[in-house]
Amino acid sequence: MTTLKRRALLGASMATLAAPQIMAQSKPEKLVYVGDNGPWHWVMVEEVAPAFEKATGIKIDFTLLPVDPWRARLRAELGAGSAGIDVVQWSVGMAGWISPHMEDHEPLLAQMKSRHADFDWDDYLTGTKKAATYDGKLSGIPYRITTGIFHYQKALLEQAGFSQPPGTWDEFLKVALAVNKPPDRYAFGIFGRQGAGMFVGFNPWLYSNGGRLLDFKTGEIFINDAKGVEALQFYADLVTKYKVVPPEAMTWEFDEIVAGGQSDRYAMVQMFAPYGTLINDPKISKTGGKWAWTTVPGPHAKAEGRTWIDGHSLGVPKYTRNKEWSLEFIQMACSRQWQKRAMERGNAPPLRSVLEDPDMIEKIGWPPVAAQAIETGFPTPAYPVWDTLEIQLRSTLSQTLFGQKTAKQALDDLAGDWQRSLRRAGIGR
Amino acid sequence: MGGTTTAVRQTGVRTMQGATSGTSGMRRWLDRQFARIAVLPTTAMMVLIFGIPLLFSLYLSFEGWSPDEALFSGAFAGTANYEDLLTDPQFLKSLSVTFIYTATTVATELAGGLGIALLLNIDLPWIGLFRTALVVPMMITPIVAALCWKLLLDPDHGVVNYWIGSHIVWLGRPDTALISVMVVNLWQNAPYVAVLLLAGLRSLPSEPVEAASIDGASRLQVFWHITLPLLKPYILVALLLRTIFEFRAFDNIYVMTSGGPANATMTLSMFTYLASFVRFDLSLGAAASWLMLLMCLLLCLFFIAVIRRREAN
Amino acid sequence: MNALSGVGSRRSKLVFAGSIYLALIAMTAVFLFPLLWVIGLSLKTRLQVFATPPLFIWWPTLENYVGVLSQADFLQAFVNSLVVSSGAVILSICVGVPAAYAFARFPFRGGSFLFFSLLVMRMLPPIAVLVPMYILFSKLGITTTRFSVILAYSTFSLPLVVWIMRGFFEDLPRELEESAWVDGASRYAAFRHVVLPLIRPGLVAASILSLQLAWNDFLFSAVLTNNATRTLPVLMAGFSGGDTGVDWGGMTASGVLVILPVLIFSFAAQRHLVAGLSSGAVKG
Repeated sequence: MTTLKRRALLGASMATLAAPQIMAQSKPEKLVYVGDNGPWHWVMVEEVAPAFEKATGIKIDFTLLPVDPWRARLRAELGAGSAGIDVVQWSVGMAGWISPHMEDHEPLLAQMKSRHADFDWDDYLTGTKKAATYDGKLSGIPYRITTGIFHYQKALLEQAGFSQPPGTWDEFLKVALAVNKPPDRYAFGIFGRQGAGMFVGFNPWLYSNGGRLLDFKTGEIFINDAKGVEALQFYADLVTKYKVVPPEAMTWEFDEIVAGGQSDRYAMVQMFAPYGTLINDPKISKTGGKWAWTTVPGPHAKAEGRTWIDGHSLGVPKYTRNKEWSLEFIQMACSRQWQKRAMERGNAPPLRSVLEDPDMIEKIGWPPVAAQAIETGFPTPAYPVWDTLEIQLRSTLSQTLFGQKTAKQALDDLAGDWQRSLRRAGIGR
Repeated sequence: MGGTTTAVRQTGVRTMQGATSGTSGMRRWLDRQFARIAVLPTTAMMVLIFGIPLLFSLYLSFEGWSPDEALFSGAFAGTANYEDLLTDPQFLKSLSVTFIYTATTVATELAGGLGIALLLNIDLPWIGLFRTALVVPMMITPIVAALCWKLLLDPDHGVVNYWIGSHIVWLGRPDTALISVMVVNLWQNAPYVAVLLLAGLRSLPSEPVEAASIDGASRLQVFWHITLPLLKPYILVALLLRTIFEFRAFDNIYVMTSGGPANATMTLSMFTYLASFVRFDLSLGAAASWLMLLMCLLLCLFFIAVIRRREAN
Repeated sequence: MNALSGVGSRRSKLVFAGSIYLALIAMTAVFLFPLLWVIGLSLKTRLQVFATPPLFIWWPTLENYVGVLSQADFLQAFVNSLVVSSGAVILSICVGVPAAYAFARFPFRGGSFLFFSLLVMRMLPPIAVLVPMYILFSKLGITTTRFSVILAYSTFSLPLVVWIMRGFFEDLPRELEESAWVDGASRYAAFRHVVLPLIRPGLVAASILSLQLAWNDFLFSAVLTNNATRTLPVLMAGFSGGDTGVDWGGMTASGVLVILPVLIFSFAAQRHLVAGLSSGAVKG
């Protein structure tokens, strides 16, 4: 079944690459791809790249690194104007410093359209285009766009007398207290480890409540206003006051929160949409088949629910000598057929037609919810100074989750830290 | 022994006959410069991989930071980076965490290591087996050790909680997280100290102990008044070595807690790593590195002074 | 120091020996248990790993090892680790041994400063040179190569080699070279033909210790390598921080395979190891 399908895909992609003669550039032996080592690359590495090599004779040389070395590598190489990278995979938060090194992809879009009639830019969700753009410049083509959605075990909520998932925070709290069955299963899983997951765990609460981080242009800080304090207090109370969060969630980052869902440690969770596939697969998950999805609750109404948009784009750097071929590979990886295949193996595509494909909804379930969340979500801040501010936010959130500080006190302290960092970065003087 | 050395000397001299014939002034000069030439490659390597990076990092630590600009474009910033560092609460926290971490791990490693060394120093049949077994933890790759301990300490499926019969989230609470990373360290490095001290114990002269035993001193008295003072230089070396290495603790923390929860395990190395590779604030990272370096340098100077004094005695 | 030579009856001697053995066994159990448990985990199936209560007796499976060894990634990383670790050791020995000899035998101006700098280099937290070294290497265009990792590893292996070897050279009787010099040998020839053959144990000790350090390093190679050149610890670190749920079996099996070579090697050369540790550490 799969092999058959793969062969069909291969044929299709050969066809899309049918006219290599029009390429003005001489053919390189290989293209260097630099990206992170997330497992969602499977399809790209194991299927797209071989297909591309078969069609063009060009090998894709993948350099897939852990997150920190990946970012450091791109920063150093692009900063030095090195021609050593042909395809750059970058994530939303890196847009600020990476965009000056990238080609303007707007004209490249036209080129792709002229070569491949089926390339449809209108099929990309608006939120994903926002995520690939910085300061008005489109710096890559979205490949994987993730967002936070609300995953819940439907039967557990029904047993507790709730036929609908919670739409407001009050409802959420009621449901949480009703389904909380410590120590076997808790109500709500969170990203509790002081690390990369922390911000995405908290910010739907902040955004839904109408809270804001800061104005990156003027340096004005909003995180410690009433909205922000309220949101953090609510979030922290889930842990410290209501105890509806498994205690080991304080060690959870990406791997662990998925494992927690797979071993039935919580009834509800707000996390990456594509993780839905991993927790709902009966082959690897105790809770497989039990999950349903919706958008995150808002403080007073479901419609207020807001979440984050993050993810990865593929882009052509200014310095490569193989622009045309890089673009050709990006086009192929981003094509509808391959994105469909990639979604089956855990990717989260930015294309509406793929997310709303009836087969996919049938098979996977969460995509329409993700599409909905992406339309109203906020991309991760892309200003370079955000890296510093986020580290400080992690430490603040962690302290609050352990009740070392009240939300107000913690966010006031954070505002002070941010002020110093912004001054250091020369913002808002 | 004497026989072999003579033999070696003779073979050596024979093979050298060819090399020494035709001695010229040039050759004699080269010979006088032997020491300088012998250290030349080492010096070159040091400059390349140590000197240049250090100078560069010193430069960075005085350079202004702008998060979206390239390197070398910042202006001279005076001591601003150092000032920012010393007012950064996370840095100050990391100083105290590093201090507590270093003091505790070194003290427990020394106490544990000494105890183990004393046990292993007793001559019994099969003792060699135990000595061998003990080397195992210290050889293990720290990243692997930390990952393994993460599994052992897992709240749900870990064997530690199973035995204690509890549900402690070891790495998810500020107090137990610090203890956990220390335990991993202790597990790896107490044997290291033990091996060092055992070597010391084996090299001690046996007469004083025997004399004291004959005089009717108890085991404890012998240990306290004779063995321990004789062992002091070895203990001192172990102390200084371990201090310098614990001061830079990184691998176990990176894997197990990455500095959390609530900064409880945020050591200086972790802070510097985050500053340089996550915040991309290379100037701040360089300033932190240099402060670390200076603290290490002080330790080194102290170390060398102690050893010099011992050699002089 | 023979602890059994104390006064006392035969019976009390036996009790003493018995209690010592008991203490030794308890201690060894404490130190070896974590490793044995992890080896046990690597021989369990996924279901067995997560069984509650934990299984203490089961029919071992090799599926995790088969899984790990059939991954091209792992084998590639293994080769890389081997190449960079031995490369660093060879480089450090070639460069460092003559210097150690010079430090031990010929006091020269600037010598003690140089030796002190080497010590500082050894003591220095690696994180302090990592960023500038990375930038330097990318200017030279050698990042992501195995060579860059070898160079980086020299920051710790070179001082270690010099330090340990100086101790061994100092222990060597001076008369040997002196009589060779008297016989007309140049210093180079005396070093090569008289001294070097005698310090083989020192070379072994220095090699093992620096090999172990290089094999175990994580920080340098995490930053300096790519997929094709990454070493085993970097591959291992990838087992935490992904997003597929934790694969305990695969992780423990790879862990065991990573530490196996160092363990075998250090057992084989344990005598030298202890000599190296104490020479390097105690002789200053």
